[in-house]
Amino acid sequence: MSLLRLEHIGRTYDMGHVQVQALHDVSMSVERGEMVAILGPSGSGKTTMMSIIGCLDRPTQGRYELDGTDVGSLNDGALARIRSRTIGFVFQSYNLLPGTSAVDNVATPLLYQGVPRRERVKRATAELERLGLGHRLRHEPTELSGGEQQRVALARALVTQPALVLADEPTGNLAVHQGLEVLKLFQDLHDAGHTIILITHNPEVAAVAQRSVHLLDGAVVDGELAA
Amino acid sequence: MSAIELIRLALSRLRRGRVRAALTMLGVIIGVASVVGLVSVGRGTTARITDQLSSLGTNLLTISPSGGGGSTSTLTLDDATAIAAVPGVAAVAPEIQTQAVVATSTSNTTTTSVVGTSADYLTVRAYEVWQGTFLSRIAVDQGLRQVVLGATVATDLGLGAEAVGSQVTIGGLPFEVIGILQPKGGAGFANPDDEVLVPVGVVRKYFVGGTGIRTVGVSVADGYDMQAARDSIAELLRVRHGIGTTDTDDFQIFDQTQLLAAASTISGTLTLLLGGIASIALIVGGIGIMNIMLVSVRERTREIGIRKALGARGRDILSQFLIEALTLSLIGGLIGVLLGLVVSAVIGRIAGWGFIFDPNTIAVATMFSLAVGIVFGVWPARQAARLDPVIALRYE
Ligand SMILES: Nc1ncnc2c1ncn2[C@@H]1O[C@H](COP(=O)(O)OP(=O)(O)OP(=O)(O)O)[C@@H](O)[C@H]1O
Ligand SMILES: [Mg+2]
Repeated sequence: MSLLRLEHIGRTYDMGHVQVQALHDVSMSVERGEMVAILGPSGSGKTTMMSIIGCLDRPTQGRYELDGTDVGSLNDGALARIRSRTIGFVFQSYNLLPGTSAVDNVATPLLYQGVPRRERVKRATAELERLGLGHRLRHEPTELSGGEQQRVALARALVTQPALVLADEPTGNLAVHQGLEVLKLFQDLHDAGHTIILITHNPEVAAVAQRSVHLLDGAVVDGELAA
Repeated sequence: MSAIELIRLALSRLRRGRVRAALTMLGVIIGVASVVGLVSVGRGTTARITDQLSSLGTNLLTISPSGGGGSTSTLTLDDATAIAAVPGVAAVAPEIQTQAVVATSTSNTTTTSVVGTSADYLTVRAYEVWQGTFLSRIAVDQGLRQVVLGATVATDLGLGAEAVGSQVTIGGLPFEVIGILQPKGGAGFANPDDEVLVPVGVVRKYFVGGTGIRTVGVSVADGYDMQAARDSIAELLRVRHGIGTTDTDDFQIFDQTQLLAAASTISGTLTLLLGGIASIALIVGGIGIMNIMLVSVRERTREIGIRKALGARGRDILSQFLIEALTLSLIGGLIGVLLGLVVSAVIGRIAGWGFIFDPNTIAVATMFSLAVGIVFGVWPARQAARLDPVIALRYE
């Protein structure tokens, strides 16, 4: 069974005078352990799609099934629980908590899982060390380079051992060599069995994935046989 | 999330914005300090008033003729003697008063009131003897020329402890000083220590003629109902004066406890009023907290979005912001209580009623500041909790 399945998903933003159709009749599915790229130019609806897959947002049309559950039937509390237990986000612009140390940033998802403080710090530290940031534990986001911030964001997404990692332009703000390092990390994750959805506008980045889904103006154009 | 986690989060947040936190708390600090300070002023005043009133004797009934005093008075010494037999009456002190010059052998003089009374005066008017003794029953019955000096009179005449046994003249007549009273302190209208006391018969004989007396002080025995004693005395006097049921009395009975009750009601209301006015400051402080929390929710929109993406539920966000507001108001409240205590200690010192520590006021002020935190923190916290994570994440 697929880990997730989107059937005729649409997302319309109602702006009063106009309706913006950010996604239109999108269908796709992702198997466990797969690494899929969602590829498309700016404004094509990639972040919107990630929000729906990540249970941050609800589609206005269609049906979304995650791990066999129809997400549309769940309330906000249940969605929060899915985000907490099942999903790890890496955002387009790192989105680290300001004024908060690397360790505390990485420990925050564990806080919402109810893990005691001691263990949170232990696991966050271990995750940061694994990503080569053992010497930056007490640094706040403003005291870290872009590549380091992105690795902290990655550590934060991975610390809960989520079934699904969603990464939105993980290399978008990085210099080429830093980007390559981060992509290497994703490949390692994939090799370790994680399911990964990589969102990017860059075909070279998408090339590290097993397959790509092309988005254009909110619709899937090719590369993905409708599920 | 546990309360400890939330408090830790709130404290670390407040540490990062110390100046803002301090300024936000200032409103609550001032509010709580004024509640604590003003209520203690109210209580100090109340305590002082009741103190002074009870120094007049709390179980005191004062009977006076209603048609004016002096020789036209309808109240007589025989009335006083009869009242002494009423059940519940512990002590009776008739009083006749005049003004006279008191002089020592060394020619120090002062003009003061000379009160002729009985041995019970001490009990009835709640005086205490400092030196020597008070007038004895025998001295009163026999009309001995003995005098007890009020504290002010003794000071005015330059007499100390050694004066007991010496001679003074009152209106030219020699008297033996047998005692000096403890000072009572001013109770407002008159100085109760500026008088000398002599047997009632002596005043009648040498200073004021006629049969009437100015007042009769009655002390009601402990455990007896003031109202019942008062009714019995009124009934007795009506019979003695031949007043019918429909006629008006020719005397008045004045109850000290009524005055005391009235005074404490008034000053209690005053305390409440002061506290009420001060609470307005506290509410203004609460609005300050709400204002800052609303600003904070806007500023931290993105943070809220991130937290939700990382698994925070609406109620985690709600409690985070609520605890932040509560921490602000509670810390502010505690500082305010301390400040208020300092202020009331200073005022108490200046005004002379000392430091009145009232755990009730402090408990109430602390609860009130907590309530302010909840009331004014809930709305911003709900705003935060309701934020749509997608919009919050896009927020710049
Ligand atoms: N809250 C919103 N209200 C109205 N329109 C929105 C909203 N969010 C996104 N859109 C619109 O939906 C479309 C898709 O946006 P989205 O952010 O998903 O694009 P994207 O593919 O992630 O672009 P980029 O590569 O620049 O990040 C855009 O046209 C955008 O203007
Ligand atoms: Mg995007």
